[in-house]
Amino acid sequence: MDLLQNVFAMLYQFGDTFAFLVISCAGLAVIFGMMGVINLAHGEFIMCGAYVTASAARAGLPLPVAILTGALVAGAVGMLVERMVIRHLYHRPLDSIIATWGISLIATQGVLIVLGSTMQGIGTPLGSIEVGSRSYSLYRLVLMVCALGLLGGLYLLFYHSRFGVIARATIQKPHMAHALGVNTGRMYGLTFGLGAALAGLAGGLYAPTMTMVPTMGATFIVESFVTVVVGGADIFVGAAPAAAILALIKAGLTAWYGQLFGQIGLLVTVILVIRILPGGLSGWLKGTTR
Amino acid sequence: MTDILRVQGLRKAFGGVVVANGIDFSLSTGAMHCLIGPNGAGKSSFFRLLLGEHAPDAGTIIFDGSDITNLRSFQRIRRGISVKFQVPGIFKALSVRQNLEVAFQDHLNGQSLNTKIHEMLDFTDLHAEETTPAGNLSHGQQQWLEIAMAVGVEPKLLLLDEPTAGMSPDETRKTGEMLHDLNARGITILAVEHDMAFVEQIARRVTVLHFGSIFVEGTIAEIIDHPGVQEIYLGTADV
Amino acid sequence: MISSETTPRSRTRSLLARLEGPQTMGRGPAFWIAAAVAIAAAAAYPLTADAWTVGNAAYFLIWTFMAMGLGVVWGYAGALSFGQTAFFGLAGYAYGVITLNLGAAYGLTLVALVLAVAIGGLFALVIGYFMFYGRIQGVFIGIVTLSVTLVLETFMAQTAGPQWRIGEARLNGFNGMSGMPPLTLPWVGEDIALYPGPSLYYLLLGLVVICYLGLRIMLNSSFGNVLVAIRENPHRVGMLGYDVRLYQTLAFAIGGAFAALSGALYTAWGQYITPSSMGLTSAALPIIWVAVGGRRDITATLIGTIVVLAGFQSLTIYGSQYALVVMGALLLVTVLVAPQGLVVGAMTFLGRIFKKDKS
Ligand SMILES: Nc1ncnc2c1ncn2[C@@H]1O[C@H](COP(=O)(O)OP(=O)(O)O)[C@@H](O)[C@H]1O
Ligand SMILES: [Mg+2]
Repeated sequence: MDLLQNVFAMLYQFGDTFAFLVISCAGLAVIFGMMGVINLAHGEFIMCGAYVTASAARAGLPLPVAILTGALVAGAVGMLVERMVIRHLYHRPLDSIIATWGISLIATQGVLIVLGSTMQGIGTPLGSIEVGSRSYSLYRLVLMVCALGLLGGLYLLFYHSRFGVIARATIQKPHMAHALGVNTGRMYGLTFGLGAALAGLAGGLYAPTMTMVPTMGATFIVESFVTVVVGGADIFVGAAPAAAILALIKAGLTAWYGQLFGQIGLLVTVILVIRILPGGLSGWLKGTTR
Repeated sequence: MTDILRVQGLRKAFGGVVVANGIDFSLSTGAMHCLIGPNGAGKSSFFRLLLGEHAPDAGTIIFDGSDITNLRSFQRIRRGISVKFQVPGIFKALSVRQNLEVAFQDHLNGQSLNTKIHEMLDFTDLHAEETTPAGNLSHGQQQWLEIAMAVGVEPKLLLLDEPTAGMSPDETRKTGEMLHDLNARGITILAVEHDMAFVEQIARRVTVLHFGSIFVEGTIAEIIDHPGVQEIYLGTADV
Repeated sequence: MISSETTPRSRTRSLLARLEGPQTMGRGPAFWIAAAVAIAAAAAYPLTADAWTVGNAAYFLIWTFMAMGLGVVWGYAGALSFGQTAFFGLAGYAYGVITLNLGAAYGLTLVALVLAVAIGGLFALVIGYFMFYGRIQGVFIGIVTLSVTLVLETFMAQTAGPQWRIGEARLNGFNGMSGMPPLTLPWVGEDIALYPGPSLYYLLLGLVVICYLGLRIMLNSSFGNVLVAIRENPHRVGMLGYDVRLYQTLAFAIGGAFAALSGALYTAWGQYITPSSMGLTSAALPIIWVAVGGRRDITATLIGTIVVLAGFQSLTIYGSQYALVVMGALLLVTVLVAPQGLVVGAMTFLGRIFKKDKS
């Protein structure tokens, strides 16, 4: 019985970390994979989703609806940002990254000015379940299911929908897609919006478990970066296994040595992966040679 | 006469595409040799294998008497191989002079560097463009600049990948003269080339590459008369 | 003054000739006279202001080293590093730990300064080795370096417990370390402690001038030539027989050491250091200074940094969040309107006018 309990505890820990990595990196990975832009305002889109979700929930909307609202608002803001800034920098991807950092600063500090240093949050719903002598948050179990659903949904979207086919064509052969009459500008706009919406979704999903502060996005940044780097350029092939491996490492280290070592473990993994597999997991899985 | 380069059983595949299928090739010191073959034959890939940009699946590369198969690119350059790529590989934002400085400064400095740069500006006829950003040069001038840079590392073997692509007939002829000049100074030259008139101008012997293998090697007259070669270029041969 | 036509005979002359060159803007008597006037004005400044204001100006100078280092790494070698604050913070903490253990007598604070810079530079060397020898390129360099600094921040923020001490020095978690001695010069009779004020200001001004001129020499030397060539076309540089990864790693270590110098001086200046000095917001600031000034020219970087810092400082009267919003907007505008940097734009403009006047 004790063994079973421990196994469940480990699985829970792993699932929780896995869910966090997948949910927090999805938006970053979509934008990076499709446009080659690292969105340094990723954390701020997460914060946006969380703030909207919390406000909507406190205004009386049921939580799932509130979360969707958060995602939609973040997506809309993302499309606006794309229209006003990113679109002018397509031929200079490094500059567009810098620009997103400017946006990040404006958003964090702007929210601090307008809404103050914290906002009233919403409690974690669903209570907890008992397994043996320990209790586990049911909501976190729901988050694990959401992570799997998110992966499945993205897979369907990119591999089995018209949007996905055109989107992947646009990444691989932008000129060709352009010549075939694809409105590449609109594609990029939609992609950036989708990435922002996914970030907003992450914020909404985690809003009930976190303190609402303008800098809350930063909590997600390291984990999502690391997952994208380990995953490599092709996020659809790389991100999910990367999240699984990193979750294993992090959950293991956290269980044995505590939170901090979990994070240091992630960083060391990244550096080693980069040294051994320069193309990341996706490069390795696809068998790229030098 | 000794061989400066000896390649044995060189093989490289990218997934299903075999770009080098057991190449055996040798080049005698002081030669001026041309490598020809249809598009996609694996000529550029062969150069990249010689330069260490691709790691071969099998085979050895002996250069100047020693095995360089496992050396990194920059180490091979230091042993005396140099290259001008198919796509001009110059520093477009830097001036012509700076381009030459970067190429020569490793073994020259002060007055001798200056002398060498002047010599190369003479050689490429780029004196007037000394301070021009290299990206503003004409296509032909960019090719010459890159040849000058490649020569600057004082190679024993110079690889040239389609040096006359995009040049006018006049520029092409002048390039041929440059190469004869370099060869006369003792540099062995191996060039990939499509223009048969140019091949006749510079090469004594020619190797034909096809599907990553050596199809035939001989004098220019032999190659031109070879029925198989004509078929390869007309696309009817199956080997 | 050095004119570019003279052929340098001695070694020093040839080094001095490197003060001018294609990699740095500004040449000829007019430029050097302007530079001398600027330095003279900076040297005269403490005579016109009270000690507190001068101490504040010293604070601006502290950051210029990190900015110039980032200029070398990003502007010249083409590697976009988002995490210079990692080396800054590490060296800041190192200075604190070493001085709290060794004390300030016998000029040991200077030893601590040198050690802290060495530690920061060494850390940059290691990170650079893994990145460049692991063939990391482009945006991934930004991500890795940013991750490094954020993880260091998290690490230092959780060192609150009493078990986190190195010798005499408690790391103190989120609140950071404080109470370390300022730089102290050994002197006959009594040591001179350099609290923020004119004497610290002069020391820093001297260091800035030395580092600036030293970097000009380095950037116009053959090393600098190779760095800009790598930025333009790393593949070609490898094919000219250079070990590109070695050059990139060295440039990164130099940039890291400069950030470390800023970090150690910062700790000595304010006698405190906190984990947030390595956080996301802190990491953005060097990017802003260098981008706004102009990353491809060391002079523009230096001028831009000082101007932006002065603007930032005057805005913080209204609250640092307002200042940071303006900084973010400034970065956006620069990237969109003048990607070369505002100072570079202005210098090119002035240069053109100057030439027109002559002809
Ligand atoms: N890195 C690579 N990955 C996959 N295929 C490659 C790679 N490099 C070359 N090829 C393929 O190898 C073949 C030979 O190319 P190349 O050597 O450039 O030919 P050539 O220079 O003779 O025209 C081509 O079909 C090309 O598509
Ligand atoms: Mg070719």
